[in-house]
Amino acid sequence: MIGRHASAALMALALLAPPARAADTASKKTVPRSTPAAVPVTPPSPAAWGRENAPYHGSLDNITWGGHGELRFGYDVTAGVSDPSWFSVGRVNGFMEAKLSSKVRLRGQAAYDHVPDDFTLERAELVARLGRAHEAHAGIFLVPLGRTNLSHDAPAYEFWERSLVATQILGVPNAQLGLGVNGTGSWSRTTPLRYEVDLVTGFDDGVIMDASGGTRIPAGRNNYSDQNGIPAAVARFAIQPGRGEVGVAIQSGPYNRTRVEGAEIDGTRWVHVLTADGLAHAMGLELATEAAAALIDIPPGLEGLYAERQWGASLEATRTLRAPLFHAWRGTSLSGGLRAETVDFDAGLPGDSRTRVAASLNIRPQPASILRFGWYYEWKRDRFDNLTPLAGLTLTAASYF
Amino acid sequence: MSHAWRSQSRIAFCAAGLVLAALVIVGCSNLLTTEPPLGERFDQPLAGLSNGELGDFQDGHTQFRKAFTINEGLGPIFNNVSCASCHSGDGRGVTGNTLTRFSRGTDLDYAEGGPQLQDKAVPGATPERLPSGVDVSYRLPPPVFGVGLIEAIPDSAILAGEDPGDANADGISGRANWVTPASYLPSDDPGAGASRVGRFGRKAANSSLIQQVTEAYHQDMGITSPYRPTENVNPAAPAASGADPAPEPEVSEAKISDIAQYMRMLAPPSPGEMSPARERGQTLFAGARCTGCHTPVMHTGWHEIEALRNRDVQLYSDLLLHDMGDALADNRPDGSADGHEWRTAPLWGLRIAREFLGGDLLLLHDGRAHSVDEAVRLHGGEATAARDAYLALPVDDKAALVDFVESR
Repeated sequence: MIGRHASAALMALALLAPPARAADTASKKTVPRSTPAAVPVTPPSPAAWGRENAPYHGSLDNITWGGHGELRFGYDVTAGVSDPSWFSVGRVNGFMEAKLSSKVRLRGQAAYDHVPDDFTLERAELVARLGRAHEAHAGIFLVPLGRTNLSHDAPAYEFWERSLVATQILGVPNAQLGLGVNGTGSWSRTTPLRYEVDLVTGFDDGVIMDASGGTRIPAGRNNYSDQNGIPAAVARFAIQPGRGEVGVAIQSGPYNRTRVEGAEIDGTRWVHVLTADGLAHAMGLELATEAAAALIDIPPGLEGLYAERQWGASLEATRTLRAPLFHAWRGTSLSGGLRAETVDFDAGLPGDSRTRVAASLNIRPQPASILRFGWYYEWKRDRFDNLTPLAGLTLTAASYF
Repeated sequence: MSHAWRSQSRIAFCAAGLVLAALVIVGCSNLLTTEPPLGERFDQPLAGLSNGELGDFQDGHTQFRKAFTINEGLGPIFNNVSCASCHSGDGRGVTGNTLTRFSRGTDLDYAEGGPQLQDKAVPGATPERLPSGVDVSYRLPPPVFGVGLIEAIPDSAILAGEDPGDANADGISGRANWVTPASYLPSDDPGAGASRVGRFGRKAANSSLIQQVTEAYHQDMGITSPYRPTENVNPAAPAASGADPAPEPEVSEAKISDIAQYMRMLAPPSPGEMSPARERGQTLFAGARCTGCHTPVMHTGWHEIEALRNRDVQLYSDLLLHDMGDALADNRPDGSADGHEWRTAPLWGLRIAREFLGGDLLLLHDGRAHSVDEAVRLHGGEATAARDAYLALPVDDKAALVDFVESR
């Protein structure tokens, strides 16, 4: 509790602080992980701030650190009945990077999410540079299962919540223990190709053992120990034409334990998750999409109740409406966003799904902070296909600090 | 004059502001979902509950919808993961979650896993398979709304409708199902006692909502409670040690009580508006002697919850057992009910049942009838005369009778 209050206070202070040198900070203190000098790279926009471009605000010798937080106020209504209004810390994240040598770094990142009241160690990894554009890493890290999982800092996001496909199918934030390589090559003369290939612990048996109401892949995420002796493989490849990006990723591996207390309880069962994501700019809009499909091998005793196929997709369109928002205050901006999304928790049933539309009007007092006014409307269907409508108004504030 | 003009313009400005605010509020109400009208759903509370009771209702609502995970105690063998996943919208279930009861004659066959087949199992456990040669009864999960009103009907009111020897020679000889409530029931439970009139379930084999919830948790979900602290297991294939990792009991007495209280306070949907055609259907319903069993109104007595006390209940059931003939017989006993007897099914809620059943109606104990007409045609035994009277009606009259029944 104390930690939550302290984080909220820190974030409030960050919001009240004068417009900072966020862009400067980003350019000075960012430690590019895998950008080759030969490839043209656009400066990071707030939406592009991820692990490699986070605007660290502190440094000492070879250590840099930073973080971000989010406060939320919301008014939620379920089928015309309002839930108690809530005010909470949405997310608090702290990250650091230590330069151990010219080629080796240690990265750490931890996050608290109010929903589902989860503390996640997102990163605790050693990174070794292998030439100019490639590196190897080992430890706990965010798996490259979609663009959102790699880059989901609250202040960089234009909506009050990440997409349903990200949180409900892919389990963002989804960190696992493993090792692998990543880097950048060339798809064509002007188009970089980014890749990451890892062997990781994979999802665990929480996919069914901790899943409430049917298969829920996020219930088996953040797995820091192997349950079955077989690692999962995860890989993502993305081309970056212009300022856009098109990526595909797949993770495949066994999720269950086959023995309990020495007794064999089941055979090895696999979960395969495929994602595709895209980012494009057109007509002043930034368009982002992410889709995912999952195949889950379900034990015979649970067939019919636990889904063997799930999928989801989202499409976001955001636009800067005015920048600067105030003539004398450079760095401010007003932006708006619309999102449509759906997830189907059981493709074998007509129901068990959620479909949502959301709109957001955002003010950035500085590039590293955001104040969002949001609205959403959701059609939630149970396994009988009965509809429950949900909606809400949200006011959220997020900032790097 | 100028002051008056300023005052009028201020009023006009305020009025315009109020109109704008009203428009925004109206718009917001649509943008923020709207509440379904009272009486249009199965999961709404009774009118007249106190604030404390409404709080209890909400607690029970949450527990009713709670889907158990395996690590929380689901299984080792089970049928479904929550109360709500069997009762669609708190109404009846669908054929996909029909429960299978079995026995060997009057033997409920506990040695072979009876009286209910659990066809799902957690990893490390094996689902039950139906033993060969047993008597089988398929049971659609019944609606759970209105059960508090049924609980509040005194035994004496149910017994008043009995005519086991058919003394009035009308061919209908309803009788109560006298049951022995579970010994674990608290003494202050309305259904507790040495011998009580059963009223819940397809064969009225249960007198207590606490017992109903406890057994549903134990049999349907594999969730143990202080009332039933031992796991239900497949006798043919015991589960591996550690397959169900949750310590017993997996829910507390309070959680059981929460759900029982919730169900007590669930209101039945409002019946539809009467029209001349429906009044004709009502007259035909009585004329065909359907009301011999489907008693239109019963009256509650005293109950701890004031909203349940001393009120008329339009459930269209006498809560008695009747021989329904060979076509509906499951040849399987339940309490003192034999294989031909079924409790008269309440007809309330049929008006909106299709909305929660994918457009179907799923009538009778196993959902085999997809319309009221089909259900009536399957009636036999004590209902033979009523069925024949219905079948003899002209087409328009049949339609009026069916429309009346489906408007309840």
